[in-house]
Amino acid sequence: METPILPSPAAATIPPATDSNPAAAEQPKVDYLNLPCPIPYEEIHREALMSLKPELFEGMRFDFTKGLNQKFSVSHSVMMGHTEIPSQSSEVIKIPTADYEFGANFIDPKLMLFGRVLTDGRLNARLKCDLSDNLTLKANAQLTNEPHMSHGTFNFDCKGSDYRTQFQLGNGGLLGASYIQSLTPHLSLGGEVFWAGQHRKSGIGYTARYNTDKMVATGKVASTGMVALSYVQKVSEKVSLASDFMYNYMSRDVTASFGYDYILRQCRLRGKIDSGGVVSALLEERFSMGLNFLLSAEIDHKKKDHKFGFGLTVGE
Amino acid sequence: MASKVSLKAGKGKVVKKSAAADEDEGRAAVAAKFVKEWSTWAMKKAKVITHYGFIPMVIIIGMNSDPKPSLSQLLSPV
Repeated sequence: METPILPSPAAATIPPATDSNPAAAEQPKVDYLNLPCPIPYEEIHREALMSLKPELFEGMRFDFTKGLNQKFSVSHSVMMGHTEIPSQSSEVIKIPTADYEFGANFIDPKLMLFGRVLTDGRLNARLKCDLSDNLTLKANAQLTNEPHMSHGTFNFDCKGSDYRTQFQLGNGGLLGASYIQSLTPHLSLGGEVFWAGQHRKSGIGYTARYNTDKMVATGKVASTGMVALSYVQKVSEKVSLASDFMYNYMSRDVTASFGYDYILRQCRLRGKIDSGGVVSALLEERFSMGLNFLLSAEIDHKKKDHKFGFGLTVGE
Repeated sequence: MASKVSLKAGKGKVVKKSAAADEDEGRAAVAAKFVKEWSTWAMKKAKVITHYGFIPMVIIIGMNSDPKPSLSQLLSPV
């Protein structure tokens, strides 16, 4: 054994030697045969997404969730806002719309069903079923009454002790597969391939994720020309800061954003500023058990557009 | 005249061979078309069934889970 074993009490958190040695029984620091299961491929940048892409909305929103028993709940939502119509001129055309949405959720350890239907007939449905300990079936569909505007995908997830694979089948001839593997307790690498039958396009992508207790750094490269990097630092229990950089080398498009996430006792405040001149914030304040108040604001300085929203969420 | 007759006979043989090959290809093509049409029909029916039946199915599964909630709980706004 060339590398000496350091007798410090923090031995477990010292980063491992650069050449990972599979004969790990001799190194009490890191047990390479017992690595943790990695984060699923599509959630690899979930900390950055949670901080930098909150659900901003415009107008009024009222959500009422009623639990009928531990597993089953029904929700009613009223949303009054604007939909934007893309227009030739630089002005944005907004049309006021109002929607009522009915939802039903069934959550079981083995089966999860989630359905939302709007007044214009659009259905948003999700299903997650654990076929066995390691195999999961997930399905996702957005169905509309208009022809050719519906989407659906099926995913088969297989989980091993330190890897995950996923096979995806979607409408329009979409086929995809992804694989992610933990290399050390902090580092995981993954890759994916996909084939879109309708557009006759295929692509391949790679991701890497490095996380410790205090920070998460992820990187993603795809053959569609997209490079995405993100970094989230947990400054304290209540505060975390996130930054994100996205570059498309085919279309020469660059976006960088920086955001913060304050999780306080009574409220959660998330805000971000973008390189495209967009500043936004979302406040979720808890008035009492089961009653949440939402305030959302977004100002686009380049397009001279602003969106403000307020809402109330009743129920868990 | 003899040459004409022999020419006709020659053509007849070629036509017969290509007819047999054509028949095989035709059967495969018909089978493939049948499968494609049938799967498109099945997908369309599945989409309509999911669109109308998903939420009622979730409600039925939920109302039959333990502890069983009552219909008045489902319909009342409180």
